[in-house]
Amino acid sequence: MTKRKIYWLCQLLGWGIYGFIQVFLYTVAQGFDTNQALGVLYQVVYFIATTHFLRGLIIKREWLNLRLSYLIPRLLIATFLLSGLNYGYLLVIEFLTSTISRQDLMFLTVLINTLGYWVIYFIWAIFYFTFHYVERYNKSLKAETAAREVELKNLKEQLNPHFIFNALNSIRALVDENPRKSKESITQLSHILRNSLMSDRKKLIPFMDELKTVMDYLALESIRYEERLVTKFDIDRNSGKFMIPPLMLQTLVENGIKHGISNLKEGGEIKISTTVKRKQLHLQIRNTGQLSKEMHAHKGFGLANTRKRLELIFGSTAKFEIKNEDKNTVLTSITLPTIERSMLEID
Amino acid sequence: MKAIIVDDERLARKELISLLGSHPEIEVVDEAANPDEAVEKIEKHDPDVVFLDIQMPGKTGFEMLEEMERVPQVIFTTAYDEFALKAFEYNALDYLLKPIQPERLTESLNKVNIKTVEKPSKQQKLGSKDQVFVKDGDKCWFVKLEDVRLFESDGNYIKVYFDKFKPMIHKSLNALDERLDDRHFFRASRKHIINLGWVESIDTWFNGGLLVQLKGGEKIEVSRRQSARFREMMSL
Repeated sequence: MTKRKIYWLCQLLGWGIYGFIQVFLYTVAQGFDTNQALGVLYQVVYFIATTHFLRGLIIKREWLNLRLSYLIPRLLIATFLLSGLNYGYLLVIEFLTSTISRQDLMFLTVLINTLGYWVIYFIWAIFYFTFHYVERYNKSLKAETAAREVELKNLKEQLNPHFIFNALNSIRALVDENPRKSKESITQLSHILRNSLMSDRKKLIPFMDELKTVMDYLALESIRYEERLVTKFDIDRNSGKFMIPPLMLQTLVENGIKHGISNLKEGGEIKISTTVKRKQLHLQIRNTGQLSKEMHAHKGFGLANTRKRLELIFGSTAKFEIKNEDKNTVLTSITLPTIERSMLEID
Repeated sequence: MKAIIVDDERLARKELISLLGSHPEIEVVDEAANPDEAVEKIEKHDPDVVFLDIQMPGKTGFEMLEEMERVPQVIFTTAYDEFALKAFEYNALDYLLKPIQPERLTESLNKVNIKTVEKPSKQQKLGSKDQVFVKDGDKCWFVKLEDVRLFESDGNYIKVYFDKFKPMIHKSLNALDERLDDRHFFRASRKHIINLGWVESIDTWFNGGLLVQLKGGEKIEVSRRQSARFREMMSL
């Protein structure tokens, strides 16, 4: 059922019941009177027309988006005016049917009747707003669930079981060969796991924290790949004040190893470098390998995700690019703006 | 029995060797760090079992097996690979997840023990006891040649009929024909090679040809030229 249909159904049903009760009570008390019933019918029609007008006002003025402290006075005034009009309408009908009496024009009668209508209009408004608030709440719940699902999927991807189990396997062999190094590796692996598990709580982390995780990650991969993996770092000392989405550098470095170096018999090199220029952090990852056309077209989940995350947080001020720098090097570059304090407080 | 370990990581190989240390019946005759090396060493040593990593530089373990004519018994080793684990539809010996649990390793080795009763023949041609590795899309099979009823050429591919499957392999029927043992396999026509062990009935057909029905239900026409040879073979 469309919202419009629901609205009209509620209108007719609600006011219908209202009218029926009026007639019913009058009939019980004083017997059925055609004139009274007709009067109620006029009223019902008038109520439907005026509340429909009120709905138009609510939609046009976007009252649904108002805070309650702004909304309530507006509603009170609008419904009061409608109530006054309603009584005026009644008087006009009475005048035309010559049933008007002096008493109907007395201040107290006018006041009591107007207040009575006011209550009725206000109840209508409560129904109307409750319906929309509930609906909006449901919608936001759905949106939130969807966002959580995406997050969870990211997290699963980021935990990269293939890496974890391979690392554990290497460490197991290392226990006999080099106990000291194997202990160190366990600490590094714990650091990475902890980071992955905590990352969903924060939108941005200091670049140096991320770099430290990546260094641990590369240390572990070096145990696996041994002489097949060479790592190099060239970090600008001013990089520390920049913020980066957690696991972003890690994902890119992992990609470089997974799609680049791990496919090469002789292995290769991965180099992470940063420069700070004009209040921007230029982050570059170079790895041995070659982007195939296929990979460009696919734009794997990781890359699309990286781009989206940057856009959501930094808008157009961040840049992301991946390309073949030469015949056997893939260059991934990210440009990040300095983050303002206000952005950090969003989350 | 003889084993070869194929893994690109030295430490992973070392770990497996140390685990195999408690199985004195296993002799690790060689190690290989990539698929090319592995093929060479497998052909040289003819091992009873190969421990094969799936993710390796250059080629995956699957691709390596596909290129081999006669595949050894294989135990796959992998850290985590949902895709790979789903791939085994039929007759895979076993797979082990790294880090390997010693009990699981023992279980796998027991499976090898039973199978090696019939050792693959070392003769030049592919015998009925030899197995091949077939991969079609996401699915993989280890198939003993004696289980294959029919090879049917289809463009640049061959359809391999066994059980209720008929995956395709990228090979020419002529090349395959040369490699198959002709005591078990017969080139019925330009398009078909049949396994004689699966023949159910033979009827005469037009132009002096024959119609062979296989136990799987397939009906294959034997060309006139081949029919004489076929009669000769079957009457022996």
